[in-house]
Amino acid sequence: MKKTLTVNLGGTIYNIDEDAYALLDSYLNNLRYHFRKNPEGEEIVRDMEVRIAELFDERADGRNCVVTLENVEAVIARMGKPEELNDAEDEAADAETDNGRKAVRRLFRNPDDKVLGGVVSGVAAYFKLDVVPLRLLLLVAGCFFQWLLLVYLAAWIIVPLARTATEKLQMRGEPVNMENIGRTVTGGFGRKDGGSGERSVWRKVGDVIVRVIGLVLKLCLVLLVVCLLPGLLVALVVVFSLFLAAVGVLASVPALLYDLSPVFDWNAVSSFPLAAGFLSVCGLLVAGIPIVGLVQAIMQAFGNWKPMSTSVKVVLVLLWLVALVAGIVVLVQSPFANSAIPFVDNVML
Amino acid sequence: MRKGMLEYCILLLLHREASYASDIIQKLKAAKLIVVEGTLYPLLTRLKNDGLLAYEWVESTQGPPRKYYRLTNDGAEFLRDLEAAWDELAETVNHLRNDIKTEQK
Repeated sequence: MKKTLTVNLGGTIYNIDEDAYALLDSYLNNLRYHFRKNPEGEEIVRDMEVRIAELFDERADGRNCVVTLENVEAVIARMGKPEELNDAEDEAADAETDNGRKAVRRLFRNPDDKVLGGVVSGVAAYFKLDVVPLRLLLLVAGCFFQWLLLVYLAAWIIVPLARTATEKLQMRGEPVNMENIGRTVTGGFGRKDGGSGERSVWRKVGDVIVRVIGLVLKLCLVLLVVCLLPGLLVALVVVFSLFLAAVGVLASVPALLYDLSPVFDWNAVSSFPLAAGFLSVCGLLVAGIPIVGLVQAIMQAFGNWKPMSTSVKVVLVLLWLVALVAGIVVLVQSPFANSAIPFVDNVML
Repeated sequence: MRKGMLEYCILLLLHREASYASDIIQKLKAAKLIVVEGTLYPLLTRLKNDGLLAYEWVESTQGPPRKYYRLTNDGAEFLRDLEAAWDELAETVNHLRNDIKTEQK
């Protein structure tokens, strides 16, 4: 018995076995990768998809309407492997770049082997270390140096997940070429196959235990962060009042906010327009960037937004930190913050 | 060499009648000119980009619409050039072969 999937290939619907689908998908991905330098690459692959659909049609005889692994293998043999399709002109250039290109090594989170976010697994792949001792080390070290947890969280947020075969190869620092990509796809496939084939009771129990531990760890982490940072709450309050101040100054209705934020001497605000303006910008940034991040995260999870690039994330985080520090400094030194000073000092400690 | 031949043959086939990729594949396979079918698609796209071919979508009775390729005016002109070059080449080769044969006699 096999699970089947429904796919739309060149405008026609086919039922296809799961393993056959994995093979076909990797084949099409390899084609796309092969023609990546060709400006019309997408079109070529689309045309080939249509042809593959036609070949499936030729094969389908009334009774046997599911596309099997053998069918896909036959079609691939007929269409040719990507390396057989070299256009004479770019053949030499292609071989040159494939062999000459240095292996790029980038830090990714590893989605195939993870307990929480796959950060440690990715780091282990980056430095070619074994992942288990590294995890234990982090766990023990995390008990003594709590800031490590923050580093882990930050890494979880900033470091991108290795989604494609190319990224997985870069994660391990292997050169990105045809063979390796094929190996990654088939390798991952084989592993999945073996896992489901000989899944004993103990394995299942082990899986459940690992999952439960992972869940508990996640919960603990969240709780720890909340407990470790009572200042976080205070900081949030400050951020909120900064935001209110910004809105208030911008909308010039400070009267409404007099009672809401007693931190400020509102009468003095209007007499220092430069400091007030600067503070409003900082407040907007400090409050706005997390909102942007939140919206991005939500849309990424439920909508179809593309994930932010790492550089954008880093810039946003840096901008946020700079705005926060600058805002606090100006606030402390500004003449209109009377009772704010002890309050902010507490936070700083 | 073989690649150039293939281009020439595709242009020849399309000169006679507009056809879609699978027709071309069948004819080329019958003539044993291509081994794997995928070879054709990058070639067609390149010829199209060079302005030698153009295509239009034609509804088909079975399945989705098909891309029918046909020769453009540039393509026809290029084909004439190719034909002249081919004739010349064939003549030279024949000449050489005849020379060798007469020498052997």
